[in-house]
Amino acid sequence: MSNNIEEGIGRWLSEHYGKPVRVIGLERVTAGARRINALFDAVDEQGTVIERLALTALPNLDIQIQPMTVEAAVRTLAHEAGVPTPRILGATEDMSYMGGPFFISERIDGETIPRRVLRLVEQHGIGTKVSEQLGAAFAKLHQINPALAPAELHRPKEGTVIESALVGTEAQLRELLQPSPAFSYGLRWLERNRPAEPARQTIVHSDVRNGNLIISEQGLRAILDWEGTRIGDPAEDVAWPMVRMWRFRNDHLPVGGFSVITPYRAAYEAAGGEWDDDRVRWWLTLGTLRWGLGLAKQSHQHLSGEYVTIVMAASGRRVSELEYDTLMCLRGA
Amino acid sequence: MQYRPTAAELLRDISTLLSDEVLDQVSVEVQHKVRVAANIAQILEREVQLSGPNAQREFETTRDLLGVPAGDTAPLIELRARLADALRQGELPGRDDDEVWHALVQIARDDLAISKPGHDSWTGDDWSRVS
Repeated sequence: MSNNIEEGIGRWLSEHYGKPVRVIGLERVTAGARRINALFDAVDEQGTVIERLALTALPNLDIQIQPMTVEAAVRTLAHEAGVPTPRILGATEDMSYMGGPFFISERIDGETIPRRVLRLVEQHGIGTKVSEQLGAAFAKLHQINPALAPAELHRPKEGTVIESALVGTEAQLRELLQPSPAFSYGLRWLERNRPAEPARQTIVHSDVRNGNLIISEQGLRAILDWEGTRIGDPAEDVAWPMVRMWRFRNDHLPVGGFSVITPYRAAYEAAGGEWDDDRVRWWLTLGTLRWGLGLAKQSHQHLSGEYVTIVMAASGRRVSELEYDTLMCLRGA
Repeated sequence: MQYRPTAAELLRDISTLLSDEVLDQVSVEVQHKVRVAANIAQILEREVQLSGPNAQREFETTRDLLGVPAGDTAPLIELRARLADALRQGELPGRDDDEVWHALVQIARDDLAISKPGHDSWTGDDWSRVS
């Protein structure tokens, strides 16, 4: 990354701390196409480290899904409610620092790469503990009064969460280049078994799963990547890390490859969350089916020339995995 | 008729070349793509061997589920579309849900034998022991 970025962050930090601050040891940590994630140290004029920090930035405003200041505000609410997530120092959409919006947070040490996370969890025998910590974290997040969330946060009209999930899935299904009897069957099942609209809509993260977690020997340290946070059905959130692909081959441990369901559910309920097996299973099935439609879409982008790469092409040949998984979600062992 | 190697044999050769020789010689950014390409060559090798019998079985299963009359010569792709439509709308006449589910699972298993053997070792979660 360029010196300009270091200079820009340094300028922002100097204003934040009210004294001259420099950035050293800037290291880019993900090769994501959209977001820039980097770790660095903030040092004072004497070169003493003030804080070890992390930067989350977008190169420009065009690719912003929702304002980064909104995401940062939600993360701060979550942090204050006791959800393990890095404390935000500040966020800005002022383009003069780096040419794009960004926020800066504290830096938390630990493992994030899924297979390494599972190895670490296995080595220290902390799978059940991680599931319990995840359950408790979700309960805390879902108990935040959604009225406190920024007004710009994506929120469906009251009483339309289930309906709009079904309508959106139907639209995706229609885009398949080759019809899928398994997905059609799955969507019909989802319609016939639709749960009531949730009694409470809450803040949801929408992408909590192995890969967006920082895990250490002590267990769950932080939940990352709040880019998709919005208002929704809390059951959607708790179901997502249970989708088979997020188990990373630990298929017999439904909660992210960490543990069986019981301790996860118990911890969620003990911390005040409301869990309904049927509702969680419904979202688990929907999440699985939608992932399959997403893979199909990746192959369409390759075929249409929009985004040509062998990796996206290969996604089309993964669709049958998700057809199978969807069918298994409907029946189970 | 082409002389040997067969298509399947050549696809195996391509996969081996990519994994054993090319992978180490390319930059980190390209390595992932090379792995994907090697895997695709393996998928195609299995497809060459299995797609004939698999397609025939799916064709017969789908005709049976739909109750297609003997004179109807619609190809598999057309039958799939009809089946998907019918399932989207509701039950198939004279078929119980269990039978339909098992048929769809068999079709998916046949597809997985090509695209990802072993993926069907998991048969769903046991929710009876939750809570």
